[in-house]
Amino acid sequence: MTRMSTETFSENAKAALRDAQLRGALRHATTLFGRKRREAAASVSNWEELRNEARAIKDEVLSQLDRYLETFVTNAEKRGAKIHWARDAAEANDIICQLTLAHGARNVVKSKSMTTEEIHLNTALERAGMQVVETDLGEYIIQLAGEIPSHIIAPAIHKTKRQIAELFTTELGMPPTDDVNALTSTARATLRQRFAAADIGISGVNFGIAETGTIVIVENEGNIRLTTSLPRTHIAVMGIEKLLPRFADLDIFFKLLPRSAAGQALSTYQSFITGTKRNASDEGPDELHILLLDNGRSRMLAHPVTRQSLACIRCGACLNACPVYQQVGGHAYGSVYPGPIGSVITPQLIGIQKAAQLPYASSLCGACREVCPVKIDIPRLLLHLRSEISRTQRSGRARERLAFKFWAFAMMRPWVYETTARVGRGFQRWFKSPLKAWTNARDLRPIEAESFREQWRRTR
Amino acid sequence: MKVSLFITCLVDQLWSSVGTSCVEVLRRAGCEVEFDERQTCCGQPAFNTGYRDEARQVAKRFIEIFEASTADAIVSPSGSCTAMVHHFPELFGEDPQWLERARSVGSRTYEFSSFLIRVLKVEDVGATWNGRLTWHDACHGLRDLNIKSEPRRLIRNVRGAEFVEIENAESCCGFGGTFSVKYPEISVAILDQKIEAIERAGVEAVVSGDASCLMQIGGRLSRKGSGIRVMHLAELLNHR
Amino acid sequence: MRSIRAHLAASALHDGREPRINTNPCKSVFPSADASVVEEFKRNVEAVDGHCFIVHNDAEVGEVVKRIAEGKRIAVSSEPPPTKDLFDFDVGITTAQAAIAETGTLVLDSAAERNRLVSLVPPIHIAILDASRIYATLGETLEALQAGGEVSPAITFITGPSRTADIELTLTIGVHGPQELYVIVIQSNG
Repeated sequence: MTRMSTETFSENAKAALRDAQLRGALRHATTLFGRKRREAAASVSNWEELRNEARAIKDEVLSQLDRYLETFVTNAEKRGAKIHWARDAAEANDIICQLTLAHGARNVVKSKSMTTEEIHLNTALERAGMQVVETDLGEYIIQLAGEIPSHIIAPAIHKTKRQIAELFTTELGMPPTDDVNALTSTARATLRQRFAAADIGISGVNFGIAETGTIVIVENEGNIRLTTSLPRTHIAVMGIEKLLPRFADLDIFFKLLPRSAAGQALSTYQSFITGTKRNASDEGPDELHILLLDNGRSRMLAHPVTRQSLACIRCGACLNACPVYQQVGGHAYGSVYPGPIGSVITPQLIGIQKAAQLPYASSLCGACREVCPVKIDIPRLLLHLRSEISRTQRSGRARERLAFKFWAFAMMRPWVYETTARVGRGFQRWFKSPLKAWTNARDLRPIEAESFREQWRRTR
Repeated sequence: MKVSLFITCLVDQLWSSVGTSCVEVLRRAGCEVEFDERQTCCGQPAFNTGYRDEARQVAKRFIEIFEASTADAIVSPSGSCTAMVHHFPELFGEDPQWLERARSVGSRTYEFSSFLIRVLKVEDVGATWNGRLTWHDACHGLRDLNIKSEPRRLIRNVRGAEFVEIENAESCCGFGGTFSVKYPEISVAILDQKIEAIERAGVEAVVSGDASCLMQIGGRLSRKGSGIRVMHLAELLNHR
Repeated sequence: MRSIRAHLAASALHDGREPRINTNPCKSVFPSADASVVEEFKRNVEAVDGHCFIVHNDAEVGEVVKRIAEGKRIAVSSEPPPTKDLFDFDVGITTAQAAIAETGTLVLDSAAERNRLVSLVPPIHIAILDASRIYATLGETLEALQAGGEVSPAITFITGPSRTADIELTLTIGVHGPQELYVIVIQSNG
């Protein structure tokens, strides 16, 4: 299946709108997620306070990210973790592949990590001769299908049960079924064999604690626990923005993240990993490698408006609340980060040239800002990006730029404004072409004989 | 109480009855209403499309015109335009003087329903309208200006009106300014979900505080041959 | 790193303050052993599809274990089988070092006991816990885990059996981790 490109968002969206099955799946998922999140938030009496505190903590960390990273690294190394720094995706993949080769590894098990999707780690590992399997059920499904995730926390939410069953039949030889439990059991059994044979486990990180050098990973399925405790070597890939200052800060984030993501009071498992085991005979991996990934994040630190993009804790609530995402789903964005947060960070990660459509693909309704647990002002970020794009992108916007120059000219001169408007109203039926975008599906109001100000003058 | 009307270019040119209704309701509530004919636009279309220099130019003009007014309040029949005026400070981050002037004008600028309830403390304007109707929460009014209960309180005092709440009253109608023509298919897909709920509610009219939303919703209802009409809150409150 | 510093400096936000980290280990926090905390814990375990039994002595523990695990292959954390064999066992029995009442969560510390894999691989997990180790809140528990110096190398919080909703958001219990979770709380009288 070809992966859609960010540059063709408009076409991707139109194709998505024609896909009735996809729209049905999206409607079901976003409605359910939205309701669960709402109920979970309502059950916490100090929800707003928690959001404010969480945002304050993130602002604190981001404003001194270098110091907190130093502290994190010192503490993690003290406990036996090996730290690697990666400027970009290429460097990250290089480091990870070198590690796997140095260990003579062949079988890699992975748990769900958006950061590893971002750098296209699986492709790099396969090129290096590794067998990589995704162990999160949703990620496993899309790996079998050769797709990228369409949602930050539920990667296969765009697929119906029927589609998944067909996939399992084709790829795993499973007899056709309609039973979700049967599908899950098949995945469990298949993946257990891979776990047992794994040389290396690769995970992401939800939170890195500067104070103790701990990495914290959160899940419901148990595959992260297996990935990080069975193989001899554990590689954890962490975006540099994932830090929290203190261990105690987890209280606030544990209250916000699972509720915002899935309406849960707490996810099933939290793994707190601090360095390596104390004794060789203890359970757990012999080696822990933490890869700190930049890939454009440090650039976002520079501007106070864009810095808040890094506060994101990847809960996915904004996706579920977004009227655009609800209609077109994640794949249309052509990026591993779709929806509102994706429209904000994708242009900053891959460059506004390649992702220029995304910031405009929003009605600026603000539903995302309302549900964000760390109060990221996404509409403000979108407007900032639109302003950056119009400032730096010359080609393809000449007509629009000219139109707004004329618009400003008219708006500074009431008589020009009035005359232009009167002419426009009078000749409306002649301006069919630019109006077609509207009139294809919507009628226009009948033109009035007099504007308000003309009536005011007449009647005073 | 003297009010200076901020008519908004949309209402001025495409939906004048919203403006005239606004004036009549405010007068009936005891206000003296002035209209400064020099006004044109608040700058929202340029700002939202990323043309900040042009938006800033037009914003400065708005500030100059309205700060000179001796009115107690500047009132507008649009949540999004009022919100834009409240966002003027973002255009003047580097300029403390204009920043102050922007803040000052913003603090005196109110959306129509919010002005009636929060400033005039008026809930009943003596309106009558017989039939079932529902309310659409326009996004900027709802999320930027926290307007939620005010229109509902005003509507509940309209004699003869049976108010029905739709379950997605707070959902976007899909207009979003230039979004409606840059991504028309998505805009209409979002719109259809709103229309679905409106039709299911069995109402005769949809009311909202923003003419742009009403054009979007009304345009689709009319294209579908629906008998459901759209009405601005000012028009409803002026109905007797 | 240089890049990070450069960008932060560009935004002129760096005022030279030291990061706010607690360098003093906090005072020990003792959980409360009162009955309502135990009840709250039990309620919350059951709310996430776990089973919770409150017993009063070791004999009763044995009875409950027998009821759940009789006839099944049992792995015990005090003497766990080799890892590769663990996949063939039906039941894993471990202790829990602490618990959280407000969420129905078990706290397992792999430094205290070899419970990391025994609590994860077999499809049934039985956890034995002393009532005096149940903390009221998540916040208190986090504090306690830090008290007395270093955090243990591998701590796991467990709230209910494993689950997923990745297929059409339909909830399925029992994915990679255990399908069934039984918590036996020993509440000694007096």
